Amino acid sequence: MSSWPATADRGGAINTATPIETNWSGPDVTIAQIERELARLRDETSQQGSQPNLRTSVMTLIAWVPPKWQVAAEETLAGMAERHPSRTLLLVPRSDAEDRLDARLSLRCFPIGDRAICGEVIELELRGKRAVAPASIVEPLLITDLPVFCRWRGQPPFGSEELAQMVGVTDRLIVDSEEWEELRYAELTEVFDSVAVSDIAWRRTESWRFELAKHWPAIREQEVEVRGPRAEATLLRAWLCARLRRELPQIEIAKKVTVRLDGEEVPTPRPLYETPSDLLSAELDQFAHDPIYEEAVRTAAGS
Amino acid sequence: VTDEPNPLVEGLRLRRRPDPCLLVIFGASGDLTSKKLMPALYSLALRRLLPEKFGIVGAARSEESDDGFRDRMKKAVQEFARDPFKEEIWDELAAGMRYVTLDIADEDGEDRLAMTLAELDKERGTMGNRVYYFAVPPSAIGTLVEEIAERRTDEGWLRLVIEKPFGHDLDSARELNAKLKEHFSENEVFRIDHYLGKETVQNMLALRFSNGIFEPIWNRQFIDHVQITVAESIGIEGRAGYYEQAGAIRDIFQNHLLQLVAITAMEPPIDFTADSVRNEKLKVLKAMHTPGPKHVVRGQYGPGFVEGVEVRGYREEEGVAPGSMTETFVAAKLFVDNWRWADTPFYVRMGKRLARRETTIAIQFKRAPHPPFDDQGEGLRPNVLLIHVQPNEGVSLEIGAKVPGQGMTIRTVHMDFLYGGAFREGLPDAYERLILDAMLGDATLFTRSDEIEEQWAIVDAIVAFWRRDHPSFPNYAAGTWGPSASDELLARDSRSWRRH
Repeated sequence: MSSWPATADRGGAINTATPIETNWSGPDVTIAQIERELARLRDETSQQGSQPNLRTSVMTLIAWVPPKWQVAAEETLAGMAERHPSRTLLLVPRSDAEDRLDARLSLRCFPIGDRAICGEVIELELRGKRAVAPASIVEPLLITDLPVFCRWRGQPPFGSEELAQMVGVTDRLIVDSEEWEELRYAELTEVFDSVAVSDIAWRRTESWRFELAKHWPAIREQEVEVRGPRAEATLLRAWLCARLRRELPQIEIAKKVTVRLDGEEVPTPRPLYETPSDLLSAELDQFAHDPIYEEAVRTAAGS
Repeated sequence: VTDEPNPLVEGLRLRRRPDPCLLVIFGASGDLTSKKLMPALYSLALRRLLPEKFGIVGAARSEESDDGFRDRMKKAVQEFARDPFKEEIWDELAAGMRYVTLDIADEDGEDRLAMTLAELDKERGTMGNRVYYFAVPPSAIGTLVEEIAERRTDEGWLRLVIEKPFGHDLDSARELNAKLKEHFSENEVFRIDHYLGKETVQNMLALRFSNGIFEPIWNRQFIDHVQITVAESIGIEGRAGYYEQAGAIRDIFQNHLLQLVAITAMEPPIDFTADSVRNEKLKVLKAMHTPGPKHVVRGQYGPGFVEGVEVRGYREEEGVAPGSMTETFVAAKLFVDNWRWADTPFYVRMGKRLARRETTIAIQFKRAPHPPFDDQGEGLRPNVLLIHVQPNEGVSLEIGAKVPGQGMTIRTVHMDFLYGGAFREGLPDAYERLILDAMLGDATLFTRSDEIEEQWAIVDAIVAFWRRDHPSFPNYAAGTWGPSASDELLARDSRSWRRH
C-alpha cells in the first residue's frame, strides 16, 4: 500500500437499495483531522432537509493487518459491516517506512426506510515509529463504552510492545492460529489473564466438537485419532485430551479434519460457518472468556 | 449408560433443537399455511433449527396429492419466505411432507391421517411425537380435538397449536377451553397470538426488565399516558366471511391489542418461565376495568384514498352486506386499576384502511415541571418513549435538545435504536419463533386459557353496550386516522393522538 493522496470521493444519493460508500483519504494526518473528516462525511451522506443518518455501533473492531494480509482482511471486513455496525480501525503497520500516519476513511450507509445506518472504516497506515505505539493512536478513536475487539492477522509478535499495547486497549483478541508460522500456544496462554482470546481455528472445529459430543460416553474408552490442518487438529485433539482426561495419539497433518473412533471414520459434519466473514462474525458475538478454549490451548501448549 | 455428565458438551453453544416430531397442519389449503407457516418452516430448516427427524402432514378438505401439496408449498416458499430459496434445503424438507384429504365429519379421513402418521413415524423416526396446528375456524376445532384425543396413544408427546380467533365470545372460549381441558393438560395447548412472537414485543420485556433506567419511572408518577396504535392500511383482503363476524374488536382488540397492553403494564415476572410471565399478564387483564360507552369509539371506513389509490368503502367490499354494521376501527380509553397505573389512561386504537401500516406503543412521560426556557417554536414537548413494533422495528426516545446557535431554542429530537441498524441479521418472522417454541414445549409466548377468558370478558362487555346503539356508518374515509370521535376521545382529556 502506498500513501494516499488527499481526495474526496462522494457516493450517490442515499435512498437506493445498495449501500452508499463515501470516502476520504489523506497522507500524514492527525487524529483531529480524522475526526473532522468523518463528521464531514456523515453530513454529506444525509440528504438535504432529511433526518440525519444514524450512526449505530455495537463495538469498535480493530484489525491489525501486516501488509501481506491486507487483501484477505479487507475481504473479510467487507462482509462484516452489515452484520456488526461498528467503527472499524484497520491498522497496517509499516515500520520500515518514513514516520507518519496516513489515513483512508470510508463511511458505508445502508438505507433503512427513510434513513440510513452508517458504519465507519478508518484505515490507518502506521509508518515508521508510528507503528511502535499503536495504542496512542487507537485510544482516541475508540467509541466510548462499547466493547473493543482486535483481530490480529498472522502470527502475533508475542512479547512485543505493540502486542502488549493492543492487548491493553482490547476486550477480546481474535487470532487464527492456522495463519501462524509456529503454534506458539504457550505464549498465547500468557495473555489469557489480560484479555479474552478467540481463535478462528478453534471456531472451525465447532461442528466437530458438536459431532464428537454425540459419541459420549462411548468415546471415553475409544481409540481416537485426529487428522487435519495443523492448528485445528492440534486444538481438537487437545480439547479431547482435556475433556476426556486422557492422552491421545499425536495428530496427523491433513488438508481437512477427520476423526476416527476405534478405527472407524466419523462422518464429517456440515460446517457451521461458510465464509471467513461468518467465522469472524461468530467471534464478535462472544464477549466473555471461553474457559473450554483456554483449557484446550493450555493442553496443546503442554503437549 | 453413565450418570456422568457429558464433558464434551460443556461450552458448546447448544441450539434449542426440538425432539423428533411430526407437524400436522389442519387447514393446509389456506392462506396462513402458504404465506406464513411453510415459509417459517423453511427458514427454520435453513437455520437447522428443526428436529433432525421431522415430517409435515398437510390436512384439508380439498383433494390434493402429496406431490401437488409439495409443489404448491414450494411455490409459496419461493414467493413468501424471507430467505433465498435453496433447492437442497427444500428437498430435505419436502422429503418428509405428505398430504391427507380430510373432512372433519369424515371418519375415513381420520383413519387415513392416522395411517399416514404411523407410516411417517416409521420412515422418519419421529417416535410418535406430534404437533397439531389448527389453522381452521374455531367451529372446526372441537371435533378435531375429540378425534385426536380418541386416537391418542401412550407413545410420544403431543402439542396442540391453536390459531386465533379462540372462540367468538366468552362463552364459546370457555366451552373450547373446557373441551381442551377434558382431554389435554394446559401445557399441551398453545394458543397463538402471533404478536407475541414478534421480536419488538419481546424487546419490550428486555427494555423494561434489563435496563435499570426505565423501571423506576414506569408508573403513574412519571408517565402521563400510554398510546397504542395497531393500524393497517389494507382492507379486509377478501376475508368478508370472517371479518363480518369478527369486526375489529374480535380481530385485533381481543387478542393483539390487549396483549400489548398487558406486556406494557405488567409487573416484573420473577423469571422468564411461561407461568411467571403469564401470571403477571393475567393480573393486568384482571385489573383492567371495562371501559364505559363514552370511552369506546367504533368506526367503519367509507371510500377514500390509500397511498394515492382510490379504494372502496367497507360496505362495497365483496361479500360484505350493503348495510353492514361491522366495525373496522376501534379506539378506547382503558384503565389498569392497580398501584402502578391508577388513573393513567391507556389510549388504544386499531383499524383497517388507516393512513398507514404501523404498530407502535408510545409511553408519554409527564412534562418537565418547570423548564426555565421561553417557549419558542414548536414548544417544549414531553418525552415520549416510542416502541415501533412494525415496521422499522426499534425504539425511539424523544428528547428536547438545544438548537445550535444564539439563544436557547429547544427542539424535540429522536434518539433511535433501529433493529435494522444494530443487528442486521434480519428479524425472524413471529411464526418461526412460535412454531419452534411449540415444538420445544415452551409456552411463554402463548396465551393461557385464563388470559383468553379475561380478554373475552372485556370484549363481551363492550359488545353488549354496542348492541344498544346504532352509529352512522361509514364514519371515516379510507386512508385517514379513523372517525373524528376518536380524536375527541383524547381531546376531552386535553390530549391528542401522536402526530404521524
